[in-house]
Order: sequence, then structure tokens, then C-alpha cells
Amino acid sequence: MRDVYVAGIGITSFGRLEYPLAEIAAYPAMMAMKDAGLTAVEQLYVANMGGGRLSHQTGLASAVVDTLSLTPAGAETIENGPASGASAIKQGYLAVASGMHDVVLVTGAERMREVNNLDATDFIATLTHPLAEYIYGVTLPAHAAMFTRLYMDKYGVTERHLAMVAVKNQNQALANEFAHLQQPITIEGILDSPEAMTNNPYVAEPLRFFDCCPVSDGGACVLLVSEEVAASVDRPRVRLAGVGQATDTHAVIERDDPTELTAVRLAAEKSLAMAGRDASTVDVAELHDAFTILEIAQSEEVGFFAKGEGHLALEKGETGLGGSMPINVSGGLKGKGHPVGATGIAQAHEIVTQLRHEAGDRQVEQATTGLTCNFGGFGNNVLCLTFTRES
Amino acid sequence: MQRQIYAYRCRECGTLHYPFRMRCKECGNLEVFEFDAEPLPNKGTLVTFTHVHNLPAEYEVARLSIGAVELDGGVRVMGQLDIDEPKMGMPVRGSVEVVRREAYERYWGFVFRAA
Amino acid sequence: MPVDLEKILRPVDHDLPAYPAKWVTLASGDSMVIRQVGRDDIPTLLEHVEPLLHVERDYYDIVAARVYAELLAYYRHRVQDEYVLVAQIEGELAAIVNGRQVRPGLGMSLHTLALRRGLRIGAHAFAAKMEYHIDILGHDEVLIVAESPIGFRRWMIEYQLEDRFDTPHELGGVPSYALTRDLFERARAKLVVGRRPVPPELLATAAAAILPPADPPTPPADLLAATRAQYDPTGTALMSLRRLPKEVEHA
Repeated sequence: MRDVYVAGIGITSFGRLEYPLAEIAAYPAMMAMKDAGLTAVEQLYVANMGGGRLSHQTGLASAVVDTLSLTPAGAETIENGPASGASAIKQGYLAVASGMHDVVLVTGAERMREVNNLDATDFIATLTHPLAEYIYGVTLPAHAAMFTRLYMDKYGVTERHLAMVAVKNQNQALANEFAHLQQPITIEGILDSPEAMTNNPYVAEPLRFFDCCPVSDGGACVLLVSEEVAASVDRPRVRLAGVGQATDTHAVIERDDPTELTAVRLAAEKSLAMAGRDASTVDVAELHDAFTILEIAQSEEVGFFAKGEGHLALEKGETGLGGSMPINVSGGLKGKGHPVGATGIAQAHEIVTQLRHEAGDRQVEQATTGLTCNFGGFGNNVLCLTFTRES
Repeated sequence: MQRQIYAYRCRECGTLHYPFRMRCKECGNLEVFEFDAEPLPNKGTLVTFTHVHNLPAEYEVARLSIGAVELDGGVRVMGQLDIDEPKMGMPVRGSVEVVRREAYERYWGFVFRAA
Repeated sequence: MPVDLEKILRPVDHDLPAYPAKWVTLASGDSMVIRQVGRDDIPTLLEHVEPLLHVERDYYDIVAARVYAELLAYYRHRVQDEYVLVAQIEGELAAIVNGRQVRPGLGMSLHTLALRRGLRIGAHAFAAKMEYHIDILGHDEVLIVAESPIGFRRWMIEYQLEDRFDTPHELGGVPSYALTRDLFERARAKLVVGRRPVPPELLATAAAAILPPADPPTPPADLLAATRAQYDPTGTALMSLRRLPKEVEHA
């Protein structure tokens, strides 16, 4: 297997984008090619979850490759739920590592705001088990809420801890010009003021409005290349050093211990081991905080903190910018937004930006190792990617 | 007619599965459909629950209570709750009722009440 | 004589109790004042509503057009017993809600127009309006309709409003729903929030000027435009260029 490098990156603003889905995928790809100064793309992977249903467009990769005038390069659309992005990066990794291709463009896009929030929630809920979950009205917020209640009961996590994650990430998004939410929030406003229940109503008890990520449009891209090609690119060298993936039961409640996210643990272990690192060597991480509880739980499962102690680290400020283990300094899904098909790539975009030391006001000092966790379904299908800065 | 929800017992090793899967997760039996369907018990305890407020568009209720229940015998299932103030660990009894309607389709599933 | 004709055309308003101003803390930590405005403030509001007539998304165009007409009718004395409440953050207009008394005991909600999004301002403004009808004007019920699916979901289903399908609503003649006193009491904790009296300096800022919304909803992009990137609201293209070292561009 050959080493794989990230030569170029690109991203759109997240929020509401009013141009066609194929262009949301193509736009960051243009940026990535320009960033790397490379256009000899041999293969595209386009990550997208809802094109067929939300944007009434299938075969997206064919549209994107032509929009970019990269025909006759190979092109496939990769759909793996909200983990589509990291899955597409994994395919890109395999294509380069195997020696089949030297320059592979991995871009992701989603256009979710063409439908209203309720329809978007229902669309995402089609990830759940059709007979054992979906028919009951189980949505992803419902899954996260039931998980939260178990977590609160077992580990003493409170609504205040969840609010702390919400405030940390949404306010961190203010330092990210691409982030969807550009609106600061305070603990007082979402939890303590007499009006907090109207400001921040329950979505699925005990999760509230500000515990959930927004519904976003957006696209992101990474350009993966072989070592020889990387040597010709005059950008800080970032290697995609580890790719780990694990799956778990489709019906969430079937798991032996429903407070564990086993697939996250296994994916992180595999990814870090492949990169020759362990959790203690990670400088910066982008975790899949579609719901605030997930940042806490994943920070434990990937190995940053002992099980049941993620919220204690949060209390001490360890997960903030300047803390010992900064998590989601981009704003995370909660602040930056969650265009489902693009999210895994957007996480990689942030880590590469951090490892290049180009993150400006949200830069984690001297970061050389970064981890992403892209969480599909409710922990059914998880990918963790490890990136390292090479001197 | 008493409606029931079925679990699937592996003919090779006796492991009970819910929901259905093609291959036994315990013994990995490769004989297709080597399962006996058996009705799930209707009594159990509430493992966790939520009240969902932002529902898919076709629901005409303000909120929906959903819970996970560990049935006698150990199989866990989801269901809707008809319980005003659910508590984790409370005993519940399920019946099979219409849980979702989409146009002319009706879907049947567990609805749990305090036992 | 024109004066006499005006007397015929101009409905006589009842002497309704005023809405006592209140204030709430928003999720952002900002303080928002909700207060009643009189005819003198209407020209300023019209200026801020007018741009929304052209926002052909999320029902802003139809709601803005109707609000504009309702405000104008109020200003020019062509509607009876209408009231207008505004929500302001540091003077800036965040929401307009209005309604009217149909007859003593019966209110009619007209519109809820939020000019700043993401802070549940519409929910606060709608709640204030319901409080005004039931608690202050003493109405037994308020007739309500929605123009958007989200509005329908939020009001009709969330509060389980009762049908008044034999009563056409003044907004388009569609069948009405009603928030009754009983439903209001059941949702009181959610609907009646906020604090009184408003601290004098907060109220003074609000009363001094109704400032235009800083980030109002904007019209959708023209999808037939040749270059779409310019509609990327933060200008991704420009930023990426700015970040690139010069030499890479020629690689």
C-alpha cells in the first residue's frame, strides 16, 4: 500500500446555498484543484446522501465530473448515510494506496434546505430500521434523546453539560467564516433565563432545540494524491495516515449495552493504529456532534477520556480551544452545519486546515495529528480518519 | 384477532432475534430461513424513552412518546408509549396497534402502557 | 362634504386596554422588548416591511404583502380595532405581530412576521399576541389561520387548536382555527413568558427609534444566472484566493 496525501482542499459556505447540487459538489472541487495546482484528476468520488430524494437528482457523480470538465475520468457517487463523506475519502484512499490512481478528487455535497425541516428530519429518519424503528416515528433526535437519558442516568450527565457543548460549538463557529450558524448563544439564554424554555424548547426530551445541529446545504472537497505527486505540490504536507471503519446493529436497542458506541471505539482504534498513533497523541479532533450528547460520548469512545468522564473534561474546559484536547473548533456539526453527504469531508477539511496551521483565530497551536469521527446512522456505520502533518 | 409481533429463533443454536436477520449472529448458520417465528411476549420493563416534539409532517399530534422496552426473555424492542409520566425501569405491557398511517397504509406495532 | 364622508369611511375604534410592554432574554443573551406601537410608528414599519415583499421564499412575500396592507389600513383608519406589537433588540426591529378584535370576547390573529431568524423570535412574538388577546383584551378565543406549512404545524398542531370551520378567517376566507381560553391556560407556561416592568433604559432604547433589521431575509438567487458562486453568502471564492500563496496559482 502506498502513502496517501491531501494535496488540496476546498469548501463552500454552509447554510442555504441556492445553486444546483452538482455545483455545490463542483465548487469546492475547483477550490481544491486550485489549492493544489493540480488538474490531472483520474478519478472522482462524490459523497451524497439525499440527491435522489431531496434534490431529485441521481447519478450525481456523472453530473459533477462533467461540470468540472474532467471527463473521461472515472466517477462514482458514494452513499453511506451521514458517513458518506468519510466513506468517499476511504474509497479515494484505496484508489491511491492501491496504486490504481495518483490523483483522486473526493468531493461531497448536500442540498437539504429545499425541503422544510420536518421533511428533512423524516428523510434522515429513513436511516433507521424500517420495521423495528421507523414505523414508530423514531427520528434521529429521538434516538439521541433515548441515548441521552441512559447516559444521564448512568454517568450523571445533565442538561447543563449538553448546553455547555452547544454554547462551546456554536460560539466557536463564529471563528469559522464557512459556518452555518453565525449567532452567539449563552448558557443564560438557552438554560437559565426565565424564557429559556421558549428560547430552547424540547425537540425530543431531554434534548432541546440548541442541542441539535442545523439543517444545512454545503459541499467540501479533498484532493488525494500519491507521494510522488505530493512532492510536486508546494503546500504543507498532510498525510491521510489512518482509515478505520466499523459497523454495528441496525436496530440500536439490540446492542448489548445501549450506552456504548462500539463502532466509534473500533473505528478510532483501527484508524489510530494504522497511523501508528494513539488517542493521547491527537492534537485536534472533529467529532460528529449532530447532537450535543454525541460529542461527549464520542470523546470517550475514541479514547480521549475514560468512559463516563467526557462531561467532566468538558466542565474543565479541556475540549475547548486552548484546552488539552480541543474538539470541534470549527464549530462542529452543531455550529458549522451538517449537510449530511458532505460532513465527513468537511471534517477532513478542518483537520487539514489545522494541520497546515492555516486556521486563523481557531488554530490549535502546533497541531500535527488530527482525528475525525463521521457517524452514520445512530452509530451503525462509523468512520474515523487520522491525519498527520509531515515535516 | 389478536395481533402479534414475531421474533425469529435460530433452528441451529436457539438464539432469538428481533428484528429479522437472514443469518444467525451467534452461530452464523448459512441455511437460508432456518428460523422459527415466535410471538414476542408483551410484558417487560421500560429501558429508556423520549417525547418527540418535531415529528414527521403526517403526524397530527403535538408530541409522540417513544420508548425502548426489554421484554421478558431479554429481547429489546421499540414502541410507542401511552403513559403520561414514563419512568425508566417501570413495568409495561404492550399491545399491537396502528402506530403510523401514511395515506391509505397502516403500520402495526407495539404500544406500551403501564402494567 | 369630504369630512362627513371620512366619518362614514373611518371605523370607530373601541377603547381597548394597551399591551403592557415586557422583555425577554433570548438564547443569544440579548434582551428583547415586546411593546405595542401606535399609528405614528407605522410609516417606519412600512419601510422595513417593504423589502420583504420581494422575498419569494418561506412565504415572506405573501406575509409581507398582507402585513403591509394591514399596517397601512391601520394607519389610514380603514380597519377597526387593529393593534400592532413589535419586538426589538437594541432598537432593531426583530418581529411584527398584529391582530384585531372582531367583537368583544373574540379576537382574530392576523400575522407574525419575524425579521431575524434562529432565535425563536417568532415564537416569542406569537405568544405575546395570544397573551394580549386572552389575558389583557379578555377574549374567550382567538381565530387563527396559517399561510405556511411550518406555521400550521407550529400553531394548529402544537397547541391542538379547535376547528371553527364555519367561520371564514379574514385572511383569505379560509376556515378558522381557534385558540380557546382553555387551550391557552393549558399552554400558559409556554405562552406567557417574559418580565415586567421593562427596565427604563431598555424601554427608552426601544422607544427612541425602530431601527431596520440588520440581517433581514433576502430574495433567493436568480437560478438562471451564469455564475452561481457570487451567491455563496460568504464569498468562498474570494476567501480561498486570499489564502493561497501566490506561487501555487502558477504551479
